[in-house]
Amino acid sequence: MEFKLEAHRIVSISLGKIYNSRVQRGGIKLHKNLLVSLVLRSARQVYLSDPCPGLYLAGPTGIPTVPPPQQPGEPVAGPPSGWGEPPPPSARAALPEPEPQPQRPSVCHTPGAGSSEPVAAVAGAGDALRGGEADSAAAAWGRVERPRAVASGGGSDTCPEGPRAVRRPCGCPPAREEQPAEDGSPAPPAPCPRKRGAAGVGGGRAGCPAAPGSTPLKKPRRNSEEQPSTGEEDTDEEMETGNVANLISIFGSSFSGLLRKSPAVGREGEEAEESGPEAAEPGQICCDKPVLRDMSPWSTAIVAF
Amino acid sequence: MAGAGGGNDIQWCFSQVKGAVDDDVAEADIISTVEFNYSGELLATGDKGGRVVIFQQEQENKIQSHSRGEYNVYSTFQSHEPEFDYLKSLEIEEKINKIRWLPQKNAAQFLLSTNDKTIKLWKISERDKRPEGYNLKEEDGRYRDPTTVTTLRVPVFRPMDLMVEASPRRIFANAHTYHINSISINSDYETYLSADDLRINLWHLEITDRSFNIVDIKPANMEELTEVITAAEFHPNSCNTFVYSSSKGTIRLCDMRAAALCDRHSKLFEEPEDPSNRSFFSEIISSISDVKFSHSGRYMMTRDYLSVKIWDLNMENRPVETYQVHEYLRSKLCSLYENDCIFDKFECCWNGSDSVVMTGSYNNFFRMFDRNTKRDITLEASRENNKPRTVLKPRKVCASGKRKKDEISVDSLDFNKKILHTAWHPKENIIAVATTNNLYIFQDKVN
Repeated sequence: MEFKLEAHRIVSISLGKIYNSRVQRGGIKLHKNLLVSLVLRSARQVYLSDPCPGLYLAGPTGIPTVPPPQQPGEPVAGPPSGWGEPPPPSARAALPEPEPQPQRPSVCHTPGAGSSEPVAAVAGAGDALRGGEADSAAAAWGRVERPRAVASGGGSDTCPEGPRAVRRPCGCPPAREEQPAEDGSPAPPAPCPRKRGAAGVGGGRAGCPAAPGSTPLKKPRRNSEEQPSTGEEDTDEEMETGNVANLISIFGSSFSGLLRKSPAVGREGEEAEESGPEAAEPGQICCDKPVLRDMSPWSTAIVAF
Repeated sequence: MAGAGGGNDIQWCFSQVKGAVDDDVAEADIISTVEFNYSGELLATGDKGGRVVIFQQEQENKIQSHSRGEYNVYSTFQSHEPEFDYLKSLEIEEKINKIRWLPQKNAAQFLLSTNDKTIKLWKISERDKRPEGYNLKEEDGRYRDPTTVTTLRVPVFRPMDLMVEASPRRIFANAHTYHINSISINSDYETYLSADDLRINLWHLEITDRSFNIVDIKPANMEELTEVITAAEFHPNSCNTFVYSSSKGTIRLCDMRAAALCDRHSKLFEEPEDPSNRSFFSEIISSISDVKFSHSGRYMMTRDYLSVKIWDLNMENRPVETYQVHEYLRSKLCSLYENDCIFDKFECCWNGSDSVVMTGSYNNFFRMFDRNTKRDITLEASRENNKPRTVLKPRKVCASGKRKKDEISVDSLDFNKKILHTAWHPKENIIAVATTNNLYIFQDKVN
């Protein structure tokens, strides 16, 4: 739990830095922002991977599912459990943030694309609640991260270990195919909870385990698209003021940063982390993922160049 | 331990300090680069305000050999001005990122100075004579009434007070989209490279309207960006070889004979990460902030946040020497991340014989490592010791627990007082150490 808090704090700090970098004299510093985004990614991973006992309905903590083989440029199939596999880089590029963003397509930042780490960009994935974990996990965090998920009846989405595990592998392919441009939503598995929510079903869908059918998933995803934007906005502010202050006071100062990144967990973390940062973005209209923010100057640079 | 140095121990003494005494530092006065010229006679500094100040060593004392000559201001000029890029709505800072001297070919001195976007070649020349005795003009320049001219004479040169003039001879602009972090003059003395975050360009000193792109690591999809170029340098002897370091802690050596675009390295220097040290900030602290070839060309030195590494160009898989600069900061990385200190880019330098390396730290401390004796020393640049020839007392930081007398605990270090830029005279034991807005010159004790 401590790690989660610390990770959260680091995420908040990182977002603040990225935010402030926009107004720095001399233009955005690519190097520094790249490093900050790497820290952001790590913190998210840790945050998502740190198992909180009791959050899972079943199964061992830190779902040990074997991550699907990474392919360069693949967003990594996936965090098991509903976080939603990161959409493939291209898709990701196409979108990724849970909230609609003007730059979304170009913004998706995939640091280490090609590496085994899931790209941070998976916004949508982040949103997806990973089974029960997200719901309960840091209620505040969950609230922020994904209003959608919560709305979807966080707790209701009880994807038991089994299905979750199943989901994962399923998730990959669908995730890859499914990349709705606008929505960051990750693969079907991921959206399970979300979908449910979006669909307004408390728990209805038994099915994440079901197949990774893309079609049925698309709809809910789109529906859910709207939710986050508004939802997150409020939660952002809330998160920003309430939680951060609490966390900082709870946690104190130095963190030795000793968490190791474990690949499987890390991946899961990626997605979830993604949404976190966005949510925590101060004053941001959710639509701007911190990473995105990184990207916008780059996009500008690209365009200009 | 008195000092670090090959053979006899060197005792470092205070020599001079340049700059304002105030505690209130004007941002424009923050020193951003320090560089000796090839002979060591000239010492150039650049600051955030875009100015270059050149100090010259006095010659008189050399004869007496009691102490080496003092450095006095030789020339000051405004190298770069702030600019505004209207297309991108970005302000371009005038801060001088790097200064590099050219070897002297005639009476004038030349140096390259660069800010984030533009490199300029400056000519610094002396004028100590002026023509007198014009026929049509008075000495003050007013034209004489032609009717009063009854004889003709040839103007002659007469001595005048020394005047040092700096004039921009070349301006190399519009070649970098990202921020320039390095310039390096080739050993052919005709070309030089400039590196920004993603690209390296090769220029000819005479040609300003074009440059060749020799390294481009910009990914097709910027979202896939994982590393940037942090420093680049030409090999001191091989005009076809250069290296560039990355934010991931790798150094690539490239040979320009292999291809026009040197995207594929000839050698890749990388040390595997120690998994036990993994943290959120591992990536940041492994980012290399400076790379410098040894004078011999056999070795290169890299500086990352916590250490200095010496690499043998013949061995790619790990450095041959690693020196910890301030390992006691490893447990403070989170705080250093919060206050942005973790992003500080420390430079490093070799002494003339490549036996000692030096780099800066916090609290106005700087460190030297003797490669032969394996001894190291920490010294402080402070006005407290500013009597000339005062021997500097070695400092020690107490990492934990009991603090001995004269030691400083990690928590009382002043992280606003950082030494990022240091330079070592190419031939003698004279060092220039830049604190925030002051330049300290230290020499070894001469008896």
